[in-house]
Amino acid sequence: MLEIRNLVKVYPGPVAALQGVSLEASRGMLGLLGPNGAGKTTLMRIVAGLLEPTSGAVFLNGEDVTGNPRRIRRQLGYLPQSFGFYPHLTGAAMLRFLLVLKGVEAPRGLKHLAAELLERVNLQDAAKRKVGTYSGGMRQRLGIAQALAGNPRIVVVDEPTAGLDPEERLRFYRLLAEMAEDRLVLLSTHIVEDIAVLCPRVAVLSGGQVLADTAPGDARARLEGTIYEGAVAKEGLAETERRFHVTQAVLIEGRNRVRVHAPDGRPPEGFEPVPPSLEDAYLLLIRNRAPKNGQPAPEAAPHAAS
Amino acid sequence: MTSLARWAAVARRELTAALRRPSYWLLLGILGLTAFGFSQGNVTISSGEATAGGLRSHVTSVAAQSMFQSVLITAMGVWFLAIGAGLVLIRDAELRVGEIIHGTRLTAREYVWGSFAGALAAFLVIWGLHLGLSAGFNHVLATGADTPHIGPFVPGNYLYPALLLGLPQIVFFAGVPLFLGAWTRRAIVVYAFPVAVVVAVLGFLISWSPSWLDPAINRALMLVDPSGFRWLNETFLKVDRGVDFYNTAPLPPDPGFLLSRVGLAGIGLLAVGAAARNTARRLLQGDTDSLVIGFRRGGGERARPAEAPKSQAAVGRTLRELGMRTVPPGFFAAAKAIGRIEVRELLVRPWLYLFVPLIVWQSVSASLFALGPFDAPLLVTSGAMAARQFNTLSLLVCVLLLFYTVESLMKERTQRLAEIYRAAPVGTGAMLLGKTVGNVVVAGVILGAALVASWAIITGRHLLGNPVGFDLWPFAAAWGGVMVPTFVFWTALVTAAFALFRNRYAVYGVGLAIVIYTVYRMTLAGFQVEGAALSWVTNWLAWNSMATWSDMGAFSLYGWALALNRLLYLSLVPLLLALAAMWFGRQEFDATRILHRLRPRALLRSGLRLLPFAVPPVFLASLLFFGGRAGDQGPDAEEAGKDYWRRNVATWTDFRMPSVSHVELDVELDPPARTASVSGAYTFVNHRDHAYPELPITARPSAPIAWTLDGEPHEPDDRAGLFVFTPERPLAPGDSLTVGYRYDLQHPRGLSARVGGRGEFILDSGVVLTGFSPTFVPVPGYLPGIGVDADNRYDRREYPDDFFEGETEPLFGWGGTPLTTKIRITVPEEYTANSVGRLVSDEVRDGRRTVVWESDHPVRLFNIIAGRYAVKEGRGTAIYYHPQHDYNVEEMSAALDAAREHYSEWFYPFPWELLKLSEFPAYAGLAQGFPTNITFSEGIGFLTKSDPRSHAAFTVVAHEAAHMWWGNILTPGRGPGGNILSEGMAHYATILLHQEVHGDRHRIEFTKRIEDSYGDARFVNSERPLVQTDGSRRGDGTVTYDKGGWVMWMLQQEMGRENLLAGLRAFIGAYQSGSDFPVIQDMLAVLREFAPDPEAFDAFTAQWFFDVVVPEYRLSGVTKERDGRGWVVRGTLENAGTGRATVEVAATANERWSDAGDAGSRTVVSPSYRDTRTSVVLDAGGSAEFELAADFDPDRVLVDPDVLVLQLRREAAVFDFPE
Repeated sequence: MLEIRNLVKVYPGPVAALQGVSLEASRGMLGLLGPNGAGKTTLMRIVAGLLEPTSGAVFLNGEDVTGNPRRIRRQLGYLPQSFGFYPHLTGAAMLRFLLVLKGVEAPRGLKHLAAELLERVNLQDAAKRKVGTYSGGMRQRLGIAQALAGNPRIVVVDEPTAGLDPEERLRFYRLLAEMAEDRLVLLSTHIVEDIAVLCPRVAVLSGGQVLADTAPGDARARLEGTIYEGAVAKEGLAETERRFHVTQAVLIEGRNRVRVHAPDGRPPEGFEPVPPSLEDAYLLLIRNRAPKNGQPAPEAAPHAAS
Repeated sequence: MTSLARWAAVARRELTAALRRPSYWLLLGILGLTAFGFSQGNVTISSGEATAGGLRSHVTSVAAQSMFQSVLITAMGVWFLAIGAGLVLIRDAELRVGEIIHGTRLTAREYVWGSFAGALAAFLVIWGLHLGLSAGFNHVLATGADTPHIGPFVPGNYLYPALLLGLPQIVFFAGVPLFLGAWTRRAIVVYAFPVAVVVAVLGFLISWSPSWLDPAINRALMLVDPSGFRWLNETFLKVDRGVDFYNTAPLPPDPGFLLSRVGLAGIGLLAVGAAARNTARRLLQGDTDSLVIGFRRGGGERARPAEAPKSQAAVGRTLRELGMRTVPPGFFAAAKAIGRIEVRELLVRPWLYLFVPLIVWQSVSASLFALGPFDAPLLVTSGAMAARQFNTLSLLVCVLLLFYTVESLMKERTQRLAEIYRAAPVGTGAMLLGKTVGNVVVAGVILGAALVASWAIITGRHLLGNPVGFDLWPFAAAWGGVMVPTFVFWTALVTAAFALFRNRYAVYGVGLAIVIYTVYRMTLAGFQVEGAALSWVTNWLAWNSMATWSDMGAFSLYGWALALNRLLYLSLVPLLLALAAMWFGRQEFDATRILHRLRPRALLRSGLRLLPFAVPPVFLASLLFFGGRAGDQGPDAEEAGKDYWRRNVATWTDFRMPSVSHVELDVELDPPARTASVSGAYTFVNHRDHAYPELPITARPSAPIAWTLDGEPHEPDDRAGLFVFTPERPLAPGDSLTVGYRYDLQHPRGLSARVGGRGEFILDSGVVLTGFSPTFVPVPGYLPGIGVDADNRYDRREYPDDFFEGETEPLFGWGGTPLTTKIRITVPEEYTANSVGRLVSDEVRDGRRTVVWESDHPVRLFNIIAGRYAVKEGRGTAIYYHPQHDYNVEEMSAALDAAREHYSEWFYPFPWELLKLSEFPAYAGLAQGFPTNITFSEGIGFLTKSDPRSHAAFTVVAHEAAHMWWGNILTPGRGPGGNILSEGMAHYATILLHQEVHGDRHRIEFTKRIEDSYGDARFVNSERPLVQTDGSRRGDGTVTYDKGGWVMWMLQQEMGRENLLAGLRAFIGAYQSGSDFPVIQDMLAVLREFAPDPEAFDAFTAQWFFDVVVPEYRLSGVTKERDGRGWVVRGTLENAGTGRATVEVAATANERWSDAGDAGSRTVVSPSYRDTRTSVVLDAGGSAEFELAADFDPDRVLVDPDVLVLQLRREAAVFDFPE
């Protein structure tokens, strides 16, 4: 059981990166979704024991690990947002070294385990190449391999799919889903699809606060019947945005396909009701944090009891 | 924005960033302290007089500022310039700002040149501030009557050297590292540059200048030396030109040198241009921030990132199947894994293979060319090699470790592995220990390489016939036992500093400051600056601890102190690593919580956690500190000396003692315990015409003394070590009395406080005790040298011209007539104990040997030496030596035999039965010629590199053996010129013995060698005539030894050999047993009687004994042309020096000396050698044309072919005809 209690982190400046974040999670995958600067990476780094909070605490199985990060490191698989490796080592040697540091053991030895892990992330053919010659995606996969290694009770992955092509992303989803079967996986991302695919539960962070803590399905359900989609001419988009809560506006074949949130059932003319998506709920939450045109922000995703 | 504006923006940004770095301000601090030190006049050009009121060279002159600036920039500035400029592009790559920067209109050229300009400007700002501080210290703070070393303020004196010597090397030292950084993107390569510069410049270019060096090569080295110091030294400083010259001369550069300075700056600028091109090429390849390029092979072999082929093999298989589990690694297992990966990383990098040869070359080469007394080269034994490399290796490896450790700690950050690395369940201590071990392996690699190089050299030479074979023990002891702890400590210290500062520039600044300060202090200590030596508590480098290495007992002098010192610094390693682990910041601290941690209670808690780590070093430091204070190098001992001086100087300085007619001495030695029981008695005889109501005797053993007076217990007045005896009735003229004493002695006493040799000691490895020292035996009278240091040093004594009239006191030993001795020595059975006179008994009982030595002819001095010896007996001589030091024993024995035979014939019959020469450990680097009992430090003679060409061992024996006559049989008087009758005459005797035994060639080589020594070491302004030379002025040493010997050699040409020798025999006969001790004037008075031409004799002595002259000959306009069947050589000879002398000019053809000797091994002239000669008489400044007729085709014209006239720069008085 991981319990995050009222975490506050203020960087010199001062910049308040976290403003009293509290979360609880035990098993499965918890997605942390938020825009850039929301505080996700700060939160992940605090949980990983790499950053000291200004106040608040992180408890692991009831034990405060904030002041003693060694306790959490023993049970941690961690993939940071940005990382590199020793360029002169081969992928296999680099991974073996990290396995030793993490204290990973396997019945057939570390050399074999490293080969197996590299195979899992599809680097078996690059195992003997120096990491310095790896592409960004290959490095990302090597990072994933080390994060999954061992039998960590908590896996913290920060923007893990950045740099992965769709095929590798899919492969990673499977690995992560398998990991989440019997442990806690904290997945931080700003890619809603990652959450939608993987997470039975998502916490939305913005401005250092948890705006929502819910299941993606619940978030979608709350918007059922309130999302409409239609085409808007380029010159009419601004007017639509002014009058309605636009959740998404994308160009498809040169025309604006716009989705609006209309809880009163009065969408713009020509708009048709559509099933809500997690992205609708997320964007609505983020964009409507502040009241707009005198209307209160919609309660798109209230905190879920957990 | 124009190109210039963009360039200026980059330069401004770099300048601002550089000036914010602590390292530059630290450099300014160091330079400021240095400027302050210079302003105190402790370091200046070696010219003028050192004493108060004497002429001093100004620290403010162009010459002094040129010297300071040229060396300071090379020694200190190069590190900061290389780091400041060389890391600019690497830092931007690390910060990954390349994409952004190069996405603008900024071109590679603007970027690189702007960065260079900024880095250069930052250093120039610091250097400008340094010059300002120097001027301020010199002309504002250090003014007044007490500052003869300060001249008038002339801004040009500071700016001219800065422009001529400073600026070119600054541009060079900034430009080249910038290129290296741009090319390789490796910080460690940038660091290789200053290491290479310091090794090449300080270790070779400015220091290597043997007298035989070809002038063309010397000139080339001047031009390639980036510091410019070699040019300065060779052109202006090496031969002293007098203080007026140095204080006022503008030191104009010659065109060649000026061109070389422009070229040096040009190379720096070209390097910047190359860096700009390299950067532009990278940009074209889309490579803005790569840190992993390394050297490219084949113009682009670097593998491009390539995706691995897709595979579906693993899909569908689960992680659970792998059966992984996590068990946090143990401390040492983790440290081992990290250490291994560090070593692996280090060993695959090419830079290590750049550093290692550089360091090994510097270290090994410097150890090969060590010189002993009389500039005799020393044998390269294993012990000597290990010891001579100790300081250099320690220093260079520590500098390298500074860089490697910081870069190793930065590595995870720069390679962005830090987040993953730090999240691993490994203790921070294990991480740091692993890195420490990995970096220490770098030191191990270098030590291993140096060891292999040393082995190869010693073994190779041995196979070629050198007597010395390889022995691993000295390397294992000195390097493994003493040096390696330094590296472990230093790496831990750098790690802790990095953990604290978290900034590579700050750590470099602090690390370099510590190294520079340590070496500065210990270098000053090497120049005998009082109080400069670091104590064993603070001497973390164990600097100079191997300077007294002895094969006879490596650590017996201060082994305990050294062991405690090493343990102290090893014990600091856990503490430093604990501190590093605490500060390392594996978890980024929160600023608010840091304040909480600084609360007293939190600090106390942290302190208590560290307490177990702090206890061992505190305990060991206390042992060293208090042990050193209690020992005989401690402040109590120094204060006792001061008390002695304070209480007695006014009363007893001019007190003249009655004679000692007999010495009875019984010494029971226990060398392993460093102790002796001493008892004995002096019989005083009043040889003067007045009675003595009181008799002062100096005695300074640490234990109480039981005194007797004429056999009865007596309590003399103890005046802080001067014991004043008051007999019941005054000692009347002709009467005698006996003073007896008994005490226990430990010497050295207690724990050593700092490195340094000892003149006397009782040690397991050997015993050296002399009658000079009141620590060993009571010495009659007051000793004016005790208790005198910088605080109470007084000016030299001024002597009237007729000071020698009447009775003169002896230069050393006790006054009056010679004495007899009976000395009984008891030692462990395996020791041999020697003293003066002849051995009258030698008994062994219960494992103890007792020997009794009695003087078989009166002596004036006595000593004791003991050790475990082998013996080589000669004709009335014997050499006692360490069994492993038999390399030169045959030659030394032959020299001793020859000296006894020929000196007896030339000067006075040797009056004693046996002439002994014994070896002692190199804790003192001296040789002493006590009557019948000469003692040599092992580095003198025994370990001299002697071969049939140099006869170096022969030389030192010949000199010391001559002291039997010039020092003992004839004891000189105290006063100016007195010591020349000892040391100068010993050199003259050596010249004669070389001539006698080895022939002209070796006599010529020896006389040229001591002439070179005189030219190099003399101080024009302080040099006085021989009759006024009293050893108190700078350069008096070379005047006493070298010039003294040379002038006697020239006097022999003036008087004729037999006339002079007859005169010397008469002189010794007149003074050898009296109580009036002669000086030069007394000798000249006797010799004049034997001069065939007294007027010429007077003219000679007026010039060479009573004046200071030295000719310096120059040849010009030398031509040769055929004249019938022969050749005519014409030219002009000028005396650019002083004095009037008759000198030969010769035209020669072919090599003069044959390599084959005659039947007596004397050198002979080669059959093909031809010469023709003429004599020229020249006054100072005079010149004359000469003409030589030759029946052969001459290839050379030279002045003074037989080396009969002392002169300066003899090598310039040679003209070689072009082939």
